[in-house]
Amino acid sequence: MTPGTNGSTTGSSERVRHKDRTRSGSRRRKRTWKKLLWVKQSYPDNYTDQETFLEHLQRNPRLQPYDFWPLVADSTVIVQHVCSVIIFVVCFIGIFQDRVSPVAVVGWGSFATFLGWLLWDWWLGQEESTKPTTPPAFSSTPLAASASSSVSNLHHSNGNRHINGNGLLTKHSYSASSASLYSHSSNGYSTNGHASSASTPAPKFVPNHPSPHSSPLSHRTSLRLSTAKSALLIYFTLLGLSPILKSLTRSTSSDSIWTMSLGLFSINIFFFDYGSPPSRSSVGGGNKNIPASLSTNAALMASTVLASRLPSTGQVFSLTLFSIEVFGLFPVFRRYARQRSWRGHVTLTTLLVVGAGGGVGLILGHGGDGHGFWDWPWKSGLLGVVIGVLVTGLAMGGCSWWLIGLQKYKNEIHGPWDPARPIIRREDY
Amino acid sequence: MPYNIAMVSDYFFPQPGGVESHIYQLSTKLIDRGHKVIIITHAYDGRTGVRYLTNGLKVYHVPFLVIYRASTFPTVFSFFPIFRNIVIREQIEIVHGHASLSSLCHEAILHARTMGLRTVFTDHSLFGFADAASILTNKLLKFTLSDVDHVICVSHTCKENTVLRASLDPLMVSVIPNAVVAENFRPRSHPSYPPSEFGDQMVPVQQHLGPHDTITIVVVSRLFYNKGTDLLVAAIPRILASHPHVRFIIAGSGPKAIDLEQMLERNVLQDRVEMLGPVRHEEVREVMVRGHIYLHPSLTEAFGTVIVEAASCGLYVVCTQVGGIPEVLPSHMTVFAKPEEDDLVAATGKAIAALRSNKVRTENFHDQVKKMYSWTDVAERTERVYDGISGVLSEADFYGYDAADAASWSATRGRAGVQSFALIDRLKRYYGCGIWAGKLFCLCVIIDYLIFMFLEFWAPRDEIDIARNWPKKSRVENSRRDHRTFKR
Repeated sequence: MTPGTNGSTTGSSERVRHKDRTRSGSRRRKRTWKKLLWVKQSYPDNYTDQETFLEHLQRNPRLQPYDFWPLVADSTVIVQHVCSVIIFVVCFIGIFQDRVSPVAVVGWGSFATFLGWLLWDWWLGQEESTKPTTPPAFSSTPLAASASSSVSNLHHSNGNRHINGNGLLTKHSYSASSASLYSHSSNGYSTNGHASSASTPAPKFVPNHPSPHSSPLSHRTSLRLSTAKSALLIYFTLLGLSPILKSLTRSTSSDSIWTMSLGLFSINIFFFDYGSPPSRSSVGGGNKNIPASLSTNAALMASTVLASRLPSTGQVFSLTLFSIEVFGLFPVFRRYARQRSWRGHVTLTTLLVVGAGGGVGLILGHGGDGHGFWDWPWKSGLLGVVIGVLVTGLAMGGCSWWLIGLQKYKNEIHGPWDPARPIIRREDY
Repeated sequence: MPYNIAMVSDYFFPQPGGVESHIYQLSTKLIDRGHKVIIITHAYDGRTGVRYLTNGLKVYHVPFLVIYRASTFPTVFSFFPIFRNIVIREQIEIVHGHASLSSLCHEAILHARTMGLRTVFTDHSLFGFADAASILTNKLLKFTLSDVDHVICVSHTCKENTVLRASLDPLMVSVIPNAVVAENFRPRSHPSYPPSEFGDQMVPVQQHLGPHDTITIVVVSRLFYNKGTDLLVAAIPRILASHPHVRFIIAGSGPKAIDLEQMLERNVLQDRVEMLGPVRHEEVREVMVRGHIYLHPSLTEAFGTVIVEAASCGLYVVCTQVGGIPEVLPSHMTVFAKPEEDDLVAATGKAIAALRSNKVRTENFHDQVKKMYSWTDVAERTERVYDGISGVLSEADFYGYDAADAASWSATRGRAGVQSFALIDRLKRYYGCGIWAGKLFCLCVIIDYLIFMFLEFWAPRDEIDIARNWPKKSRVENSRRDHRTFKR
């Protein structure tokens, strides 16, 4: 229909309009109402068509209702992280109250990290053998592996010091102010890598990128070598930094430190990247495997200020190294382990929950002083484990149930007024 | 019956834009119809005090702090004294606010209701419901529109959106589209309009496009994300690659201009795509008549005046099917595309093919658009809204109730078909806005009422001078008005 014919008939139909301008009057009219602006229609401007009004309204179009058990399973990631933070705090308190030897803490931690690195290396080898076409160049592995082997070198490799790297890095860190000192140490495991790659004639990132297929065996070996090197660098940097860290907050009162570290740990927990990376390749995805930097930085800063409360250099060094293991490397490993084996993930979660519960129990309880038959040393620890497991289970179940209950308040409205999402093909020019 | 109307909005000339020209054109046409119209806006650089525009349109530039993109700082009450003064001075009966982001308009509607005036609100834009800014705006809109007499939206999609955002009765929302001044957007070969030969018959000649003639695609748009510049950036190289005799002219500026330029450099398309930068509204026609197709890749649009302007210039329109755009133009003038790169390329290809085969009679578009959209029509329909809220039209006429339907008398509307001004009735309407918001809004309204009482005492009405009206033209258009009038 052309607008011209419409215009001529409008005048006559307007005469009729007043008699039957009703809500339900559309059936009596000859022409039905159309949702068009360019047609002159014989309906009043505020006419609301009962059939078509809001017909494109969508409520909660992308709502996927949660199921209970998958939700509980997903919440293990949060439990793992909270537990590792608790374990770290427990270790700090143990060291602070002289109940645990710092060497034991860092020794066991490093041993576990070394085991983790071995496992990682084995998984990596497996992956390379199954998928020889994918280039194994991903940035997180050398970082993670490097620092993890730094701990391994704690025990047996004091003999082969890299004088150049050590000298350079200690000089660098001493020249830094105390403010940048923190940032340096908090980014320890990444900045050191860059510093070493800049200083040493054979940068450690080189083997990652060019032609990984040329010699796979030497590639793996060089990866391990570079890992060991950056681990050593971190180790010596921390050793050099420890005296400074020890005096970092001498003029600050302990209460401020506890408050600050509590706040920083909260930031760490709330801003931690709990999401699982897309599983297009099990390890790859580049930066995706490195958890959110704000969270990591907050945790390392918290551990730094906590470490600065400790009286001796050895304790400071142990705690800082332990914090790098717990907050820098462990999340990477956890994430990878979750992708590799679900059973391992559950086992790890259980171990962490047991460890955290037992640790809290030991710290809070005063058992183990040997008085009476019933007061055997691990009583409070065992009690802590039981309570910890119970509380964790209840929290996981309860929060999941609560979240499912909250779903009914979800009311998302979509319609033609929303800005469209443009669908653009990935530009391939 | 002539009304004294005050148009209130933050957005008015000298700032260019769609809302601004809408207010100006509507006011001018309402003055032509015998009403008295004034405009209240905030002070712009170099524009303060009172100004007269063409046709005796009086503009009050009220000094106010501008915070963001010509919107004033929302202070809720500080506008009241000067607003009351203007209203009394000009003997205003109807306050008509424009644009939902204008805080001046919202405050004016609130104060006008306190003073016992009729209020109308025109919504020009679409808002989502998801992001924080929209939620806040929607809450404020709900506050203002809880007690408004009538709302005008520019398209049916806009009406649905506003009804949802402000929880309104759909019957008190009218759809009155924007319009274009067709004389300003005539095709290239079209002679200019001398007013004397307005009715002359001109037979437009059809332009024939050969298979190798160059087809020019025009894009006039601010280059923002929500105008779909990303789609444009992705589509242009593909369109140009598949159609050798096609050129682009892009007018407009914005943050996405850099993406467009990078695309041109990457694909070495500088000789086939002309970037004009920002153009003024008066020059848009000069740009449009250089082309054959108008491409409009916007992602959201309440009405899309620019596609009407393009069609009026005789351009074949390719546009995305979003917001109110599908309602605006008939299908023989447009090719619709989904907001997807592939579909946009395909639709443009279809439009090019249709033009090459000379199937589209673009030379007739101008006269057709002129019949569809005119500001005179908009003014007439707006006048009917004024009649309805003033009680000139009966409730049954205006809201469309049957006599049998009288039981559906709602709490939002008074018995006379118009909203009651009693404070307690107003508070009832505001109270329903939300658990906390309702109480807060009620508090605001009570304070507003107390301020009004105080002002009545402090600056009594009879001490305020009445402004003299602009000498009116003799009502020659009475005859023209009568044959299309909406009221008895």
